[in-house]
Amino acid sequence: MRILNFSKRNLKELIRDPISLIFEIVLPVFLLFIFKQFNIPAENYRLENFTPGIIVFGFSFITLFTATLIAKDRTSSFLIRLGTSPMKPADFILGYILSLIPIIFFQNVVFFAVAAALGLKLTVNALYTVIVSIAVSVLYISLGILIGSLVSEKGTGGLGSIVVQLVCFTSGMYFPKDQVGGVFAYICECLPFEGSLNIIRAVLNNDTALVSAKNIIVFAVYTVVVTAAAIIVFKKKMVSDNKG
Amino acid sequence: MYSIVTKNLTKKFKDKVAVNNVNLQINEGELFALLGTNGAGKTTTIKMLSGLIVPTSGDIFIENMDMKTEPYKIKAILNVSPQETAIAPNLSVKENLEFMAGVYGIEEKDKKINELIEQFKLGEVLKKRAKTLSGGWQRKVSIAISLINDPKILFLDEPTLGLDVIARKELWKVIEELKGRITVILTTHYMEEAESLSDRIGIMANGNLADIGTAKEFIEKTGARNFEDAFISIATGGEL
Repeated sequence: MRILNFSKRNLKELIRDPISLIFEIVLPVFLLFIFKQFNIPAENYRLENFTPGIIVFGFSFITLFTATLIAKDRTSSFLIRLGTSPMKPADFILGYILSLIPIIFFQNVVFFAVAAALGLKLTVNALYTVIVSIAVSVLYISLGILIGSLVSEKGTGGLGSIVVQLVCFTSGMYFPKDQVGGVFAYICECLPFEGSLNIIRAVLNNDTALVSAKNIIVFAVYTVVVTAAAIIVFKKKMVSDNKG
Repeated sequence: MYSIVTKNLTKKFKDKVAVNNVNLQINEGELFALLGTNGAGKTTTIKMLSGLIVPTSGDIFIENMDMKTEPYKIKAILNVSPQETAIAPNLSVKENLEFMAGVYGIEEKDKKINELIEQFKLGEVLKKRAKTLSGGWQRKVSIAISLINDPKILFLDEPTLGLDVIARKELWKVIEELKGRITVILTTHYMEEAESLSDRIGIMANGNLADIGTAKEFIEKTGARNFEDAFISIATGGEL
């Protein structure tokens, strides 16, 4: 119950910040719409490929605003109050993660509705994609918790922007990594963003050839490591923030 | 019966000793003020007593429970109003109260919330988002929230810091009403606040608990003209 109570509060904090909603939903929808108008003759920009790209792009803002919420909570003494309550560390982490799920669900519904209006043929795979993308989002939420635990509210803007840029350029949403090749392609393979996009693309297109075993392993390792690091750093920072 | 007992309570941050071998015995229902200059160790002591940070050594017993073995049982019966206002900024005052009632798993939530609304006269700001309130109102809400679980022990860390004289007097009235019912540990920089509100005062200096007594006892002991001079004499070891 404490987890749900905390996640309800977090959700209210997030959705009452209009800036976060603009970046998490309006901007990705705008990109989906505008790139469709350009009619770019490339595989990446076909709706069944670009919609998953938009989903992952939306996740990068989830990272940014999760980080901002946590950094704000840390600096406003709000976490001091909660740290002296019977809430346990797991209540905090799960409370933050759960609060983002409705936003991710809503993002997906809006993205698919707009994609459908633009011509994407909706099948049952869209439903599976929503479910899988919620699982994929755990990496992005954990990354937000980690960043928010490490830096100040000001710092979250900078680090969050780096995540947004990395997602844009290394996930393959705009262009395939092989177009650049070399070191760039290697970096893309080592980061989890390509894997997260390919997993979602594979589910939406019902085509396992779109995702490699390496993609899945890299993504899974990052998710486990980042989530574990988020829990450890958050717990540590709750204590170290309270020195003096 | 003692509400709080500490034995050789010590906190070190790397080489710096923030709190050094503090032995405290605070009675049930007592209003105990913890005074000291900046960096004296007051806030660190409160953070250890409220379970927020772990002591480097020493023991804390709250209502006969050991903080080392029963931290969550202890946390359920205490509450803290931190130095800075600690409320959720985008939630309304009512939502803040409801949220904290949920944190403590309060069974008769509505009844308790209505009690606090009446006690703190929060009716006029109930639907306003916390971040839009003045500093005085935010502090009042913060203290109201800290009573949501009917705590046996309440820590008030500089509750009137930065408030104007009227808001401060209003808060004094609220704190005075708590006396006898709840054990209150208050830290403050205002001498008159400690003198007027507290049953006993502990003076901390450089991490040590320099002395414990009443304001009157301190004045008599130091031969000072008033409590402020007595405090300065004790806190500086008679150097000023």
